[in-house]
Amino acid sequence: MSDKQYTHIGKRYDRKEAQEKVTGQAIYVHDMELPGMLHAKCLHSPYAHAEIVSIDTSAAKALPGVKAVVTGEDAPYSVGIYMVDKDLIARNKVRYQGEIVAAVAAVDERTAEEAVKLIKVEYKELPAVHTVDESLEGKILVHEDLHTYEHMKGVFFPQAHTNIASWNRTLKGDVKKGFEEADYIVENELSVPAVGHVPMETHVVIAQADPYSDKVKVWSSAQSPFACRQLLAKSLGIKKSDVQVIVPYIGGGFGGKAGIHLEPFVTVLSRAANGRPVKLKATREEEFNLLPTRAGMRSRVKTGVKKDGRITAIEVYHDWDSGAYADYGVNVGKTAVYSGAGPYSIPNVELHSRTLYTNKVFSTAYRGFGHLETHWAIERHMDMIAQKLGMDPYEFRMKNLLRTGETTISGELMYDTTGSPEACLDAVVKEIGWTGRKTEEERQAEIKSGKIRGKGFAMLAKAPAMPSYTSTSAIMQMDEDGHVKIMIGAVDMGQGANTIMAQVAAEELRVPIENVEVLWNVDTDKHPYDWNTVASKYTVMGGNAVRKAARNMITQMKEVAAQVLRCHTDELTHGDGYIYHIHHTHRRVSYTDLSMGYVYENGNGIGGPIISHGVYMASGLTNPHPETGQGRPGLVWTFGAHAVDLEVDIETGEIHIFKIASAFDIGKCINKKMVDGQVFGGVLQGVGSAIIEGYKFSPDGRLLNPSFTDNKIPTAKDIPDEIVPIYIEDPKSAQIDGPYGARGIGEHPMISVPSAIGNALYDALGVNFRKLPLSPENVALAIEKANN
Amino acid sequence: MCDKHNGNCFEYVDSGIPKVALNCIVNREEVHTTVDPTMTLLQFLTTELKLFGTKEGCGEGECGACTIIMNGKTVNSCIVLAIEAEGADILTVEGLGRNNELSILQQEFIANDALQCGFCTPGMLMSARELLDRNNDPSDEEIKEALAGNFCRCTGYFPIIDAVKKAAKREREELK
Amino acid sequence: MLSKFDYFKPQTLDEALTYLESNPGTRIFAGGTDLMIVLRRDMEIIDHILDIKGISELGHIDYKSGEGLFIGAAVTVNEVCFSDIIREKYPALGQAADTVASYQLRNRATLVGNICNASPGADLSSPLLVYNAKVHIAGPKGKRIVDIDKFFTGVKRTVLEKNEIVTGVSLPDVQAGDMSVYKKQARIKGHDLGIAGVSIRITSNKEVFVAMSAVAPTPIRLAKVEEAIATKELTPETAAWLSTEVRKHISPISDVRSSAEYRLHISGILAKKGLLQLIEKGVN
Repeated sequence: MSDKQYTHIGKRYDRKEAQEKVTGQAIYVHDMELPGMLHAKCLHSPYAHAEIVSIDTSAAKALPGVKAVVTGEDAPYSVGIYMVDKDLIARNKVRYQGEIVAAVAAVDERTAEEAVKLIKVEYKELPAVHTVDESLEGKILVHEDLHTYEHMKGVFFPQAHTNIASWNRTLKGDVKKGFEEADYIVENELSVPAVGHVPMETHVVIAQADPYSDKVKVWSSAQSPFACRQLLAKSLGIKKSDVQVIVPYIGGGFGGKAGIHLEPFVTVLSRAANGRPVKLKATREEEFNLLPTRAGMRSRVKTGVKKDGRITAIEVYHDWDSGAYADYGVNVGKTAVYSGAGPYSIPNVELHSRTLYTNKVFSTAYRGFGHLETHWAIERHMDMIAQKLGMDPYEFRMKNLLRTGETTISGELMYDTTGSPEACLDAVVKEIGWTGRKTEEERQAEIKSGKIRGKGFAMLAKAPAMPSYTSTSAIMQMDEDGHVKIMIGAVDMGQGANTIMAQVAAEELRVPIENVEVLWNVDTDKHPYDWNTVASKYTVMGGNAVRKAARNMITQMKEVAAQVLRCHTDELTHGDGYIYHIHHTHRRVSYTDLSMGYVYENGNGIGGPIISHGVYMASGLTNPHPETGQGRPGLVWTFGAHAVDLEVDIETGEIHIFKIASAFDIGKCINKKMVDGQVFGGVLQGVGSAIIEGYKFSPDGRLLNPSFTDNKIPTAKDIPDEIVPIYIEDPKSAQIDGPYGARGIGEHPMISVPSAIGNALYDALGVNFRKLPLSPENVALAIEKANN
Repeated sequence: MCDKHNGNCFEYVDSGIPKVALNCIVNREEVHTTVDPTMTLLQFLTTELKLFGTKEGCGEGECGACTIIMNGKTVNSCIVLAIEAEGADILTVEGLGRNNELSILQQEFIANDALQCGFCTPGMLMSARELLDRNNDPSDEEIKEALAGNFCRCTGYFPIIDAVKKAAKREREELK
Repeated sequence: MLSKFDYFKPQTLDEALTYLESNPGTRIFAGGTDLMIVLRRDMEIIDHILDIKGISELGHIDYKSGEGLFIGAAVTVNEVCFSDIIREKYPALGQAADTVASYQLRNRATLVGNICNASPGADLSSPLLVYNAKVHIAGPKGKRIVDIDKFFTGVKRTVLEKNEIVTGVSLPDVQAGDMSVYKKQARIKGHDLGIAGVSIRITSNKEVFVAMSAVAPTPIRLAKVEEAIATKELTPETAAWLSTEVRKHISPISDVRSSAEYRLHISGILAKKGLLQLIEKGVN
């Protein structure tokens, strides 16, 4: 399939909303002002784990300009997307330093801040759980009542009277036998710290609760308006149909704005303020210290291999330091069940993924959904196995990559059209000119210069982590002038969904791209359902839904046109703004003459306004089996690989990256400019995780770096010299049930960047890194240690 | 709340700080007003002048989302007091385009996809604008240095650097 | 921000001093890059702010051959970066200025503000130390000049008395052949506070000055290192020796930015690299 057969698919159109964004016209919740709006400020717990003995809000309430003060007593509600374990506002107990203990709504921000300062809280500090091992030990429990919490049964497995929010497993074959067959057994322990999403717009919510009914209207910088509606209704015990969630432009999400966060408790504030709209704009410190993170994680991996490089068995414990609440983090933990061993064909698997509670700021969805963390462990481990075998890490991976006819660790069968991991690996090793590992002689020769060069690579694979019955929908309407408006339930946060869907619709309708608009400001009252804008699923799912909606629009027009032209509908085709006869092409009716129904010369009208819809349900998916993790959870697999060419200053520990080559079996790039954007942005976010980022906690569980002073992200000076995106668009391996063969790619560029960098560091230095970040400090001290 | 204050429902709380006169030029228009001296320039531009294009990303001068040009120099408006703008010439993102046309810089940002979520974009444009005003042919290194104080989490910066280089070239050729 | 302050912008130094005397606890406002954070985070409640940017005599960089350089209190870090005379005669100062924060912040932050804030890691402090700079202070009791190495008294503390204000910093003139370098290690390549900073200066008489920031409660001159290096030839071997020697004379701490171990390690590396750079420059 070449681009020559498409008009719009494959074109590098400008993103549709670019003008609004470069002129400052785009309105985010951050900017919004509503009539009668109040401003909210919060009081946060200074302790990682404490009982709330008393709260005195009287002075705060008496301050002129204060309209509401709420504490946990005023909000006896709990919430939890998968496990209901969190109070909207802490009641009786706080479980992490930063948790909200009270909140104020006032006429201006200064008054709200003053009021917060007047709230007196008495705490009784409790011993806290700080690490994965302390959590597993279970001497101190973060949630004593874990066994009473409502949760998705059969999907999550909380372990009563422990800190294990969920213990998910994969069992395939017989690992005992597999290890016996092995010639070598290699074991490693690796870990990553928690990091922040750092969207440039913090979380912002405006909630307006009708004082005379249950109705609630919410504007939120959010990725999941429908999930937000559902969870807000559930937590407050009201009907979903009484909740309206509106999302205008949002300033980045990266998973941190998926699910639900501040919306329910701001609603409580609005209710307490007699229904006035209340706006809570998280400060940057709150973004780091109150709002959730990506989980820290510790992996213990044990692999059996034969001399020739074939893997016989793998046993893994992925232990997630998931913080004080399960939120979305518990699903990240579960997802490792089908992805936590990399894109390899392994006959015998025992994988444990335990989402653990600790007394720290909790974790949630984050770009990659656990894959960057698991792939750090797995892809570094793979490299270390190759070292043990004395094998080229490229050859070793090639021996074990998933191929057609083989099954994943959760038993999913690979087809040609699932994608090709080896095409990705081949592409990147070629791009960096891999010729094998550096020898000790070569290394010694470079040492004198103080800088050593190294090359490394790593694989990645991800399918969307979502319920087996996830669906999406689209509604299309044609205006009198033949222009088409599309409504979808997904949020375009910059990943380009609205532009891509417009291209799909324009392609199917055969109209100019200018004639198609996807409407902004997703509104659960008006727009049709989408689950959450996460998981790199929207190009496939939304694309399929929009295609159906467009085809249905054509069908409707043909039905009316057939009457007008007095022919069969199957003799009609479309293009250039007309429905026309395939043979007598001059027999035609324009879209504009059909858009509001057709009017005959004598005044008779037939048909009516052209409104169509399309629905896509993920088909054939199953939940992983509760004991074995076997099933078919993955709708679409996108495989990829990164290769890195870098140089290390052996004295300072600083890394300079010459090139990162990133290949993805994307099937088809609908808009290469948008896809490039995901690759550049995702790879750099991966570099951030690899070299720079990491939360630091004091011994008593306080976050030490809650601001940009000490919680850094890559700047324009931190980019590699080159990032080379490579797209495998081979019709043989394209996604045959996706739109035009396309697959998702939003998260994938981030996954395995740290692994590839870690592998390149081994090539350069002969030193194996097992922890992130690979900061100048960590690299320099490791080199010192290795030399002594 | 109301019955605690003799029946007065406070909707406007007087901070007790006398307002100070402020006269300046914003996007080529004169502004004559008074301001609370504790108000930041960012708050003034957005909540008072309703120029919402400039954003707050951190409030501490680290992320650059609030970057505007004051007297020809970029500053983080979140840590500038509004009264410091007395007599100043201020340019925000809303002032980049002229006569209902996007500037070359804005056009190249669009063409090169130098934005995704758009939240850092106004600040980024102002830093780029100021760079091109003092250096019409910047190297990659010079562009990175000028933009290092503008965080972007979405684009990875490469498309932004491309956009600035292309805009520089077009400005050299088209604006004589 | 909870503070409700009175903002005053005098046109002359006398007006400023009068205001300071009448309003104890007044905070000086130059670039505001530190002060605004204090205000935003409510670290202190501030009642009076004095903006010095209206006092014209504080806004200059003046160099006079034979006398040296004077940098006024309102001079911004970017003005230091773009000053040809500083680049030529006091290179470590220009290099240190380049590493301060971001371009936008450098348009506001002032050199004098950087040293008055007296962070142990103040980037501009070690260059001033190797140049034996003098701090010019004005107060109700009149004017005084304090040597830079007496100016810092502790973490974020200086000799400034109540109601005193620094009007500028002066650096003695340098002879032709005088060279200096500033080396800094940070966590990222973008703007960051320093894990450690080193300034090295070699005068035209081959006298060596070494100063560091972020390795002690205040920025410090490494006087003992200077004594030891005075007895040596300036060669690559000496640079390697310097790496070890520097580490013997500092006791850096661990904090959120770096472990003491890495601070110690990198201090030696930066000193070595700095000296090597100067040696190479001297040769060419």
